[in-house]
Formats: sequence, structure tokens, C-alpha cells
Amino acid sequence: MRTHSVIARVTLLLGLAVGVVASHAHDLQYSVAAGQAVVVKLFYVDNTPFTFEGYEVYREGEKLPYQVGRTDSQGRVSFLPDRPGKWRIKAISEDGHGLDFTLTTDAAAHIEGSDKPVYERYGRIVVGIAVILGLFGFLNLYMRRKKA
Amino acid sequence: MHIPDGFIAPQMYLPLYGLAAGLWAYGARRVGRDLDEASLPWLASLTAASFALSFVALPLPGGTSAHVTGVGLLAVLFGPWHAFMAASMVFVIQALLFGDGGVTTLPLNALAMGFVGAISAYGVYRVTPERWRVIGVFLAGWIGLFLPALLIALALGAQPLIAHDAAGVPLYFPFGFAITLPALLIPHALLGIGEGALSVLGWRLVERLRVRYRND
Repeated sequence: MRTHSVIARVTLLLGLAVGVVASHAHDLQYSVAAGQAVVVKLFYVDNTPFTFEGYEVYREGEKLPYQVGRTDSQGRVSFLPDRPGKWRIKAISEDGHGLDFTLTTDAAAHIEGSDKPVYERYGRIVVGIAVILGLFGFLNLYMRRKKA
Repeated sequence: MHIPDGFIAPQMYLPLYGLAAGLWAYGARRVGRDLDEASLPWLASLTAASFALSFVALPLPGGTSAHVTGVGLLAVLFGPWHAFMAASMVFVIQALLFGDGGVTTLPLNALAMGFVGAISAYGVYRVTPERWRVIGVFLAGWIGLFLPALLIALALGAQPLIAHDAAGVPLYFPFGFAITLPALLIPHALLGIGEGALSVLGWRLVERLRVRYRND
């Protein structure tokens, strides 16, 4: 009878110990480390940041995203590449704005290149207007020649 | 509202390219036939203005922004085909030179904002009685922005239905109609008021200048 009582107590203690360990297995832990991230800022042509919109980051050739999330209050995407190479960034807002572009980083997360458009905002406007007027100029010449 | 590459599935953009190519070919013939040397500088100036206007983005509630297009004004002043071809020229330049709007999405941008925007604006302007011309121009500007927004919301919202993987995960644009329709229609219904007012201002200015230069 006494032996049974001891076995029951030991079993109870073991059960409690296992329960405590199991409950700790679900505790979320954290660690802090300094790292060099790639930070990409997304913004509209009037410099309004692309804030709190969804984005996905892909390693080259992979279909499963390396990282997903939302841009921060400054319209930034930041990620820590785990290897050098090309990274595709896809950002989409619910109203159809967005970007889908690729950049290249080395192992230390330094940007080596990106497929960013050549012209910046004001340069774009001037160049675009010049191209449009130039095309209409050619059209005018064509019309005169046809008339002649 | 210029949709970038990667948002529209090939099942949609390939047929749209075919449709747009046909309309561009017909539009080029119409413009070649109807455009004269007197109206060409006006069309050139307003096409350039339309291009510049697309860079003026107005911030809207919800953190997004939208811009006017000037397509309604072009349609009222020059007719729908001239407006469609001028707007298409702007979209091609933006896509190829500046990366604003994708190459794969070019036909959707051109058909929605250029063709449907111009046809609807011109139609509203034409059915408005002569004595209400100003209201007609305003409504042309509004509808020329709002209707394309509706089409683009439908095209974007359809992407999860027409292109998804075996697990049902969207391959291109991920949001459905329930999100795209309010996200696009509410801002553009408001912005349309600005586009309408701008169309009236532009229309009055051009009409005044045309009379002045005709008298000179």
C-alpha cells in the first residue's frame, strides 16, 4: 500500500515537471543582434511615402517569399539578405498602385545595382514633354510633306 | 492609377494587347485623316499638359494618392480618337522611358484611361444641351476619370479569380472586388470633381485662345 503511494507521488511530480517544460516550449523568446539591412523607400512622385502597404521580398528564382510585411510609416521596406544576389521586391496597394522591381546585393547587404528608372521626377517631366513635342513636330513635318 | 508590371495575368493582358492594337491602328488612321495643321499645335500642347498633370498626385484619405489625367478635356476639344491616341502616346512614353505603368499592363491602362475615358467623356459632352456646355465639360472630366477607375478596379479584382495556384493563392494582384472597388471608386469619385473643374478651366482657356488667335 505504501509502495503504491510513493509511485503515485513520483508519477504526479513527473507529470508536473513535464507539464512545466511543455508549457515553456510555447513561450516566445527573443534575441537582439546588430545587422546590416537593405532599406528600400517607396514613395509617390510627389514624395508622399507609400505607407502601411503590403510587400513581398523574393530571392532570385524562388516562388516562396523570403519576407512579407507592410511598409512602415515612412514607406520603407527593410530586410536582411542571407546571401548575395538578386532580390525581387513586390509592393502592392489595394487600389492598384505598386512596384515590382529587382535589386542586387552583395553578402554585406550593400546594394550593387537596381532596375530603377533613369530619370528623377523633374527630369522626367521635362524629358517627357520634350519627347511629346518632338513627336508632334515629326508628325507636323510628315503632314506637310504629305500635303506637298 | 498606372498599373505596374506583375499585377495583371497574361490571360488578360494578351487579349487586351490584341484589342488595343486594333484600336491603335484604327485611331492612327482617324487621326491621320482628321488632324490638320491648325489643330496640331493645340493637341501637342494639351498632350504635353496631360503628361505633366499625371505627375501632380493628390493625397487621398487612406494614405494613397491619385492624379488627374486630362483625357476628358482632350476628348471634348479634339474628339475621342485624338484623345485616345494622345493618351496612349503618354502611357507609352511613361512606361518605356520612366517605368510609370508596366509594359504588360499598357493595353489595360490605354484602353481604360485612354479609350473608355475619352469615349465616355465625349459622349457625355455631346449629349449635354448647348446651353449647359460648362456642365457638360465638367461631367465629361468627371466621367472620364471615374469610369476608367471602375474598369481598372474590375480588372484588378478579377486577377485572383483568373490566375491562382493549386492552393488558390493569387499569382498576380492579390485583392478581390470587395477591396478594389471601394479602394478605387471612392477616391476617384472625389478626384473626379477636381478633374471636372480642371476640364472646365482648360476648356475655357483654350476656347478663348483659339478665338484670339483666329482673330489675329
